[in-house]
Amino acid sequence: MRMKEIKDFVAQFNARIPWDESLIVRNRNRYYLLSKKLKQQVPKGFFYAGAYLGAVKGASFFPSFLLLTMIAETKANKLVVDKKTAWLFICGRDIFKRGILKGDNLKKGDYTLILNEHNECLGFGKITCNLRGETDANKVAVKNILDIGDFLRREKRKPKQQKSSHKLQGGNRESCKPVRK
Amino acid sequence: MSGKEFFVNRYRKLGWTYKQVKLKQAIRINTMNAGRDEVVSRLQSLGVALEKIPFLEDDYWICKSNFSVGATAEYLLGLYSIQEAAAQIPATLFAELEDKTVLDSCASPGGKTVQLADIMNNSGVIVALELKKRKMFALANQLERCRVTNTAVYQMDAREASKLKMKFDCVLLDVPCSGNYVTDKDWFNKRSLEDVERNARRQRQILAEAVKVTKDDGELVYATCSLEPEENELNIDWAIANLNVKVEEINCHGEGGLTNVFGRELDRSIEKCRRIWPGQTQGFFVCKLRRQA
Repeated sequence: MRMKEIKDFVAQFNARIPWDESLIVRNRNRYYLLSKKLKQQVPKGFFYAGAYLGAVKGASFFPSFLLLTMIAETKANKLVVDKKTAWLFICGRDIFKRGILKGDNLKKGDYTLILNEHNECLGFGKITCNLRGETDANKVAVKNILDIGDFLRREKRKPKQQKSSHKLQGGNRESCKPVRK
Repeated sequence: MSGKEFFVNRYRKLGWTYKQVKLKQAIRINTMNAGRDEVVSRLQSLGVALEKIPFLEDDYWICKSNFSVGATAEYLLGLYSIQEAAAQIPATLFAELEDKTVLDSCASPGGKTVQLADIMNNSGVIVALELKKRKMFALANQLERCRVTNTAVYQMDAREASKLKMKFDCVLLDVPCSGNYVTDKDWFNKRSLEDVERNARRQRQILAEAVKVTKDDGELVYATCSLEPEENELNIDWAIANLNVKVEEINCHGEGGLTNVFGRELDRSIEKCRRIWPGQTQGFFVCKLRRQA
C-alpha cells in the first residue's frame, strides 16, 4: 500500500498527520513531500526534493528528521528532557529517568520523540520501563534509537554502512564523541 | 607560469599588495528556523563569543569558542549554518526571491542553497544542480538538517541546465573556480595560469547556459572565490559582448570591478561588480547581471 511505511511509523507515536497524498512522491526507496509548486514545476529524475520523509530498506523504515519534526508538531508521544540529558542523547546515549522533565504517562515498549527544553525534536527512542511507576531515577528509561547527532555520524560513515532504523534500535550506531563539555 | 612570485606579481599589477590573512570562521542564522537574537543568546550561553559582521544582516564571526560550532545542538537543528562571510554575499543580491523560481547551478555543498531557501522563507522553487554524486549526499544532508523544503536537487552538469526545460527568474552561478590562497595553504604550489584559463573557459560555458534558461529580465548572480581576473572581470566582459546581459548596480562589501586588466580596457559597466581582496574575508568576486528582453 502506498505510504504504508510512513503511516505505520507515525502511528507508533500515537500520532496522525493529515497528509495530502497527492503531494507525496516515492523516488526509488525514498519518500518526499513536495509543495504544490515543486510538484507542478520540477521534472522527474530528481535526487532529492521538497521535504525528505524517510527511506525504506527491506522491512525497515528510516525516518528523516523532517518527519520527526512534523510528528512533534502533532499530539504525539513526547518527552521533554533537561539540558544535560539532551546533550548526552545527541551523543547517542540512552535517557535516564532523572533527566525527564515532562511526559511521564508512557509505558514500556512505547515509542517517543525526545524534545529539548525549547521543544525542539532531537530524535526518538523506545521506553524501557513504565515511567509513572518507576522510582529509580538512575534507571535507563528510554533507549536511544535515532538522534540528530546522526548528521555528524553520517559524514564519518562509509557509503555502504546503514544508519539506524527504528527496528535496529541503535545497535549499529557509532558512538558520537562530545566536543562540548 | 605558476608559483607564488608569479601570482603575487600579477596581484601587484592589478593594484593590490599580497598579504597573509587569517580567516575568521563565520556563521549565518537560518531565520526561517529561529530568531536571530534567540540563536545568538543560546550560543553565548554556551560560551561562544560572537561579533556581528558589519556588512551582512544575520551573520556573525566566531571570535572565541572552546568547541567546534559545527557540533552543537543548535547547529544540528539547523538554526545556523557555517558559511564564510564573503560567500554569504551572492544570495543577498537578488532583488526579490520570495515565490520565485530559482536555479542554483553549482550547488554543493549547499551553503548558498540553504541561504536562498532561508531568504525565500521556503517559498517558491529552487532547483539545485550538482555534477558529482558524492557531493550530492552532503548537499541532501545540509537541506535536511536546515529543514529546507522548497528545493529539488538534480545530478546534472550546469552546462546542460536547459535539459530541465525550465525557465528561471533568478540564477545563482557560484561557479567552480581556482579558489584562492586564503582558504588553501598550498594554493600557490598547486595552481598555474593554465588551470585558471581552463576554469575560465568552463565558467563561460556555464554562464552561457545559465543565460539560456533565465527568463527575459531575469537576474543572474555570478560569483567566484578566485582572485584571477580571467575568472572574473574578463569573463563578465566576454558575457557583455556575447550574451544578452547587462551588468547591474549592487550595493555590497568590496571594491569596484577592474576595468583595466594588464593594459586591456574592459567594458566600463564592470566597475559595478565587486572584487573583494583578502582581508576581513577570503578573496571573492561577485557580479549581478540582468538578461535583456
